[in-house]
Amino acid sequence: MELKFENVIPEPFASLTFDSTSFWGNSWTLSKGERVLLNASSGKGKTTFTHFTYGLRTDFKGTISFDNQSIKDFSIEKWTEIRQQKLAVVFQDLQLFSQLTVEDNLQLKASLTGNFDSEKAKYYLDFVGLADKWNQKCAILSMGQLQRVAIIRSLLQPFEWIILDEPFSHLDIENASKCMQLINKRCDELKAGFILTTLNSTEAVSFNREIKL
Amino acid sequence: MIRKLLFNHQDKKQLYIALLGVFIGITFLVTSVHYLLRVSEFGKDTEIIGANILVIQRKVTSSSTLNLTKTDFELEEIEQMKKEPFIDDVQAVVSNNFRVWLELNEKRIPPFKTDVFIQAVDKKFLDVKSDRWKWKEGDSFVPIIMPRDFIVMLNTFMSASGIPQISDELALDIKFRLRISNGQKEEWVDSKIIGFTNEIPALLVPEEFMDYANANFSDGSEANITQVMIAGKEGEFGKLEAYMDEHGLESRNSQVVVSRLKSIVGTLFGVISGISVIAVLLSGLVLIQYLQLLMTNNKYEIRTLLRLGYAPKGLINAFFLYFLKLFVIIASLGFLSFIGLKIIVDEIFKTGGINLNQSISWISFITLALSLFIFAISSLITANKGVLSLHNK
Repeated sequence: MELKFENVIPEPFASLTFDSTSFWGNSWTLSKGERVLLNASSGKGKTTFTHFTYGLRTDFKGTISFDNQSIKDFSIEKWTEIRQQKLAVVFQDLQLFSQLTVEDNLQLKASLTGNFDSEKAKYYLDFVGLADKWNQKCAILSMGQLQRVAIIRSLLQPFEWIILDEPFSHLDIENASKCMQLINKRCDELKAGFILTTLNSTEAVSFNREIKL
Repeated sequence: MIRKLLFNHQDKKQLYIALLGVFIGITFLVTSVHYLLRVSEFGKDTEIIGANILVIQRKVTSSSTLNLTKTDFELEEIEQMKKEPFIDDVQAVVSNNFRVWLELNEKRIPPFKTDVFIQAVDKKFLDVKSDRWKWKEGDSFVPIIMPRDFIVMLNTFMSASGIPQISDELALDIKFRLRISNGQKEEWVDSKIIGFTNEIPALLVPEEFMDYANANFSDGSEANITQVMIAGKEGEFGKLEAYMDEHGLESRNSQVVVSRLKSIVGTLFGVISGISVIAVLLSGLVLIQYLQLLMTNNKYEIRTLLRLGYAPKGLINAFFLYFLKLFVIIASLGFLSFIGLKIIVDEIFKTGGINLNQSISWISFITLALSLFIFAISSLITANKGVLSLHNK
């Protein structure tokens, strides 16, 4: 799936001017399999970008299209299909269910596409150092642990693109690197790409294209 | 998993109160509509005179015996009665203006002959199929409706004469003969009983036969209308009874008692039905409110599930089916409770000498289905609105 952004400007930024290197106000095409880093300081619209691309907000000027179809024209059913099969996401606020266990949270997403593999889920958890958290409620996990659960949840579905909104903000370099390895491995398996937003630290991130917001 | 996420960890106090309300409401609603129907049907199958119909005459008093007051009805008076809001229709009962004898025309039974009094009433007051209730010159027999008292009297005679008594079924097979005369000429006409009545003390014949006989065998005297049939409106017997009192009219006691009973019990069950409808609606409303509350409490969960790729339709169905199942279970329990209550109420009626049709009425099922339908539609609309309002938010 090719992602195209043509002169996209969030309506709250409408009065601002952007230079030719900025993501906002210019045209960008992201081809399948690309690994893109969106680097920006606070308040530049990283979460706004995630929400626009994931179809949660439409208050922007310009056009965002998937395979040359404007996302503003997508029906409820189309968005459901895209979120199940083509687009995975890690929200900045994680969006986990604190009252459920780690297993339940992972199963809830993966069972949507009918391919929940508990062995694979356990392997991923073990890889990022959370093997013993399988039956624990998310309510008692730390932010860093939750962040890793949210990343694994997003990797357990089929996708062509994964959008990660500051996924390592509560992780140390070691854990962030492990998570990055998992993301790359999964993207390789699926021949998928990612768009990862970050505040500044790019130490743990491996990417092949960087765009500034 | 969805059920665990959305429906566990909720305060269910309000839900239990609403379900109790639905249970009580459904039980009383189904019970009351069932008895409304059964009470209104009471007496229909056993009596050939239609339901809510009274045969009335003037009260005979000392002054009427001395011819100081009249006992017949004027046509104007009948027209006036028709205008009363609690009366559907009034028609004169036409009596014979000639002599009539009834004779047994059976070799199996010893000869029997008696003077009788015949009457004719409008077909619409009789609960009898029109193809059985007609006559024209040349027909092989005249259909008659026999007063049940007449059969009792006949059986008393049979018993006293050492002859086997006749049942209703046998009476329907026996051949009778009517002999009509005005003193100068006479005619014999075969006749056959097609039904019985408790409400009219005379033999009933089709109007066509009465018209023919009155035209050809009248003794020349003026035909007075001494009885009229009144079709009262369902549940308004009290007004008709007051009208009869006021105008010095009377009816056979059994008719009055049944009509009064039907009117009182019908009104009582009508009131219970009304209260039950309100109870079901209110408890249904509380259930819908609980659904709204549940959706508000689960706003984060619904929104997140939609973001994760859950189809709105699936979430709508989850809420809808959860509440529908609850309603079906509680309504079924209410229906079972109605069946239990029905056994008790039927027994009470039976003890009081009222044998109602004991099968479960179709209206009970319709009421249950209608309640279910209204609730299903309301909960589907609520769930639909609640989920779709959170899509892409």
